[in-house]
Amino acid sequence: MKKRTVLGIRACTWVWLLMMSLTLITYLIGQVGVGGVSASLTVLGFALIKGQMLGDYFMGLKRLSGFWRWPVSLWLFLPGGLISAAFMLVG
Amino acid sequence: MQTDAVVESGKYPPGDLAIWVFILAELGAFAAFFGSYAFTRMKNVELFNHYQMTLDKDAALINTFALITSSYFVVRAVAAIRDSDSRGCVRWLVAALVMGAIFLVVKSQEYAHHIGEGITLSTNTFYMFYLSLTFFHFMHVIMGMVILAAVAVKAKRGCYSAEQHTGVETGASYWHMVDLVWLILFPLVYVMR
Repeated sequence: MKKRTVLGIRACTWVWLLMMSLTLITYLIGQVGVGGVSASLTVLGFALIKGQMLGDYFMGLKRLSGFWRWPVSLWLFLPGGLISAAFMLVG
Repeated sequence: MQTDAVVESGKYPPGDLAIWVFILAELGAFAAFFGSYAFTRMKNVELFNHYQMTLDKDAALINTFALITSSYFVVRAVAAIRDSDSRGCVRWLVAALVMGAIFLVVKSQEYAHHIGEGITLSTNTFYMFYLSLTFFHFMHVIMGMVILAAVAVKAKRGCYSAEQHTGVETGASYWHMVDLVWLILFPLVYVMR
């Protein structure tokens, strides 16, 4: 089976590297101790992006059509929305 | 971008459909947990921010790296069996299990530290959420490792092939769900303030 690669590296490897990078940035934000709505929502945004990438490329949902294309995306919207609302209400 | 986890487009996700029903139920439970944490924090912001600083962010980083990497290894295991490479599949699954074991060891050390300081579920609201939420996830990691180990044993016995590997995809899907939950849990509990 032919594998799609970018610069000779598998697509899933690029996704893994991107997820690791976003995790490191999240950790550094935590180490600096930055708080508040903007920083919190930025970090949450990174997590939601990572979750979408995991669903699309690791779980393999990206190439599906119909109902099963969307459960992970919708799930990410649920806690993402609840957490965002709670942090924005605190201010 | 082509995914390694999917060979061709279709209507159904990889693996047994029953595991996806189970996965959605599990995700629903965790979503309720995350929402409860966030809205309880609204009434206890000072307390949550204070005790969040007592958590070990280095351990959380290692654990996040371990779970993301384990998921990547599982993707490679699925790709290997789709190429009829049973030995490669087993190797990637064992590598994923090692990453899972690292998670368990690091998390156990965190728990040991907290227990040594006399921290329990009833210490305060923050620790009640932190301990129950992370331990609930911890149990899912153990469950996922049991499933991956069973899949690895069957792969080693030659039970899977390029044509028949639903078991590998089913185990992989469950493991990715365990990783997915941690991707939200890590920033929510350890970083957001």
